[in-house]
Parts: sequence; C-alpha cells; structure tokens
Amino acid sequence: MNNEVIDELLTELQVESTFNSDTLDILDQGESRYIKDLKVNVKNVLQSDYLSEKECALIGLAIAVNGQNEVLKKFYLNLSTEKGATKAETAEVVACASLLATNNVLYRFRHFVKKDKYNQLQGRIKMSIMMNPVLGKEFFELVSLAVSAVNACEMCINAHEQSVLNHGGSEERIFDAIRIAAVITGLSKIVN
Amino acid sequence: MRNGILPVGSVFPDFTKKTVVSIEEGKEFSTLTLADLKDGEKWTVMFWWPKDFTFVCPTEIAEFNNSYSDFRDRDTQLIGASTDSEFVHLAWRKNHDDLKGLKFPMLADTSKSLAEELGILEKEEKIAYRATFIIDPQGIVRWVSVNDLSVGRNVKEVIRVLDALQTDELCPCNWQKGEATLSV
Repeated sequence: MNNEVIDELLTELQVESTFNSDTLDILDQGESRYIKDLKVNVKNVLQSDYLSEKECALIGLAIAVNGQNEVLKKFYLNLSTEKGATKAETAEVVACASLLATNNVLYRFRHFVKKDKYNQLQGRIKMSIMMNPVLGKEFFELVSLAVSAVNACEMCINAHEQSVLNHGGSEERIFDAIRIAAVITGLSKIVN
Repeated sequence: MRNGILPVGSVFPDFTKKTVVSIEEGKEFSTLTLADLKDGEKWTVMFWWPKDFTFVCPTEIAEFNNSYSDFRDRDTQLIGASTDSEFVHLAWRKNHDDLKGLKFPMLADTSKSLAEELGILEKEEKIAYRATFIIDPQGIVRWVSVNDLSVGRNVKEVIRVLDALQTDELCPCNWQKGEATLSV
C-alpha cells in the first residue's frame, strides 16, 4: 500500500523512481500513515481559491530556494514555467528568497536584542530589487512574507503582512501563501 | 417510509447488502454490512445514482474511480449504490468500458430498504436520488448532499468536504479557549 502512495507522491513531484531519501525510507519501513497525509497536503497546496497556480508554484520555488532543497527547487521551477512564469519572474522569486533570507537574519537580530543602538546603526544591505518587481509589488511582498514566516523573523513578518494588505492583498491570499510555505518546509524534511 | 433525508449527526442505519466487487469469474460478489462502515478507522463515501445503464451515471462513477487514490490517501472507502440488483450491476460493469476497472464495490439495494431509511427514494419511480453521504469511522453521517435525478455531482467538492472534516481537529494548537481538551 505504502509503495503505491510513495510512487504517486514522487510522480506528483516529477521525481525519478530511482530517487532515494533516508527519511522517506524510514517512513516506508515503519509503514507510517504520515506518507498519505503528506501527499494530501502537498497536492492540496498546489491549488488555491485565492492564488493562481502560477503563484502557488512561484511561492513553492521561493520556499525551496530558501530551504536549499535541490529536488523541490527543480520541481517548483519546472512547475512555475509550466504555469506560465517567465525567466524574469522565476529569477525574481529566487532573488527575493535570497534577499529575504538576508534581511531575516539582520532584522531578527534587531528585534531579538531590542537595543536602540542597533536600530540606529545602518543596515547597509542593498535591496534594489524591491523597487519595481516584475511580478508586482503585492506578490513580491507576499513571497517576502512567506519566506520570512519560514525564517521566523517577527519584525519582517509583521512588516510584510501589513505591506501585502496595503498593496491590495487579502488575508485569504496571505494565509494560503503561508500554508504553502508550511507544507513545503515539512515536505523538504522527507524529500531531499 | 422516512419523511425527509437522514440528517447530519444521525447514526447510519443498519444494513446487510450484496455488492459487486469484481468482473472476474467466481469473485464477483461480496456482502457489505454496517459493521464495515464503523470499524473505528475508515471513513466512508457512499454515493447513489438512480439507475444502472443510464447516461450521466457512468461518467460520474468513472470520475469517482479516477479519484480512488485521493480517497484512499484520506483513509476513505468508496461505495457506489443504486436500487438495481447485483446481477444488473455486474452486467453493467461488464458492458461498459469505463466501468470495467472499478476499484470500489457497487452496492445492490434491491429491496430499496436502505434508500428508504436514508430518505432518498424518489416517490414516483421509487429510485434513489443522486445522494452522497460522508460517514465517519464511528458510523455517524457527517455530510449529506442530494441532487435531483438528472444533475451530476462534483467529486472535487466531496474531497474538499472530506478534507474539511478530517484536518486540523487533532492539533492542540487549534484548541479554542473554553473548548474541552482533546484526548488522543
């Protein structure tokens, strides 16, 4: 039974059948029912009432890049392209994931320590890609928020959540993006 | 006869019915009872159609079959049902290309007793409406949907409802203040 579910999960993720993952093997050998739950969750976050399939795939790409997961990077890049993302758009999402990983470290430090001095000292991080994103400001902010949620920077999460809303996004879009980030973060512990 | 459809929250009525589970000779028939629905582990989706050998039905049944693995991943058994006999079911399965590879049983409510108790028997012809029931592992009806005779249904919607019924409920982080604590 589990073999069938694993095959279907790997097919869903466009992974070759020779693929090997130690955590997946452990689940398989222990006949864990978690594989079914994982497959259901992964399939469910590929579609949303509030995000297009392309947007779902691009958020997936950002989370896979942030998590340095080779298998999932490849999958979500292919999927993004398949759903109509241009090279400029996928490049922007990859850049966004990298930049936000940077900011998350810096601002998280500030909010953890809570000393005025560190707020006064200059950040000196160049972030010109935030100016005129090809994907539009609202979606760029949404991807920024999803990455920040994974990297657990409270200051970034609060700021980008407000920013998405200011640019016309909705709480429904936000929560669907966060769910994608959550599920893919979990997935990458098993498929890597 | 039941007045109206069996409401959500009801215990699914007791039954013992013949089913068709295969077109392979000697392995065609089996029996299904209420005990198979309330084993404490599996959920059940039971969907009804008015008559075998009609047009809308095979499309719909094939769509449920295509989503078989989605139901299986959700620990859910599919049961198709109508008031036709097991022999009519078998003939239909053998006759129609889309039905040859069915992975779930077709239930024969030949006496119409189950459809009657569920309150889904159409008054004129005494055939079942296109009713769909989601039954939890304790045998309690958790969702009912009924379409008039000619209206097909959306399998994705059934899966969506199943997800809504099955997810989140176990995590302590979903406790609302004032709710009883969960014992898992």
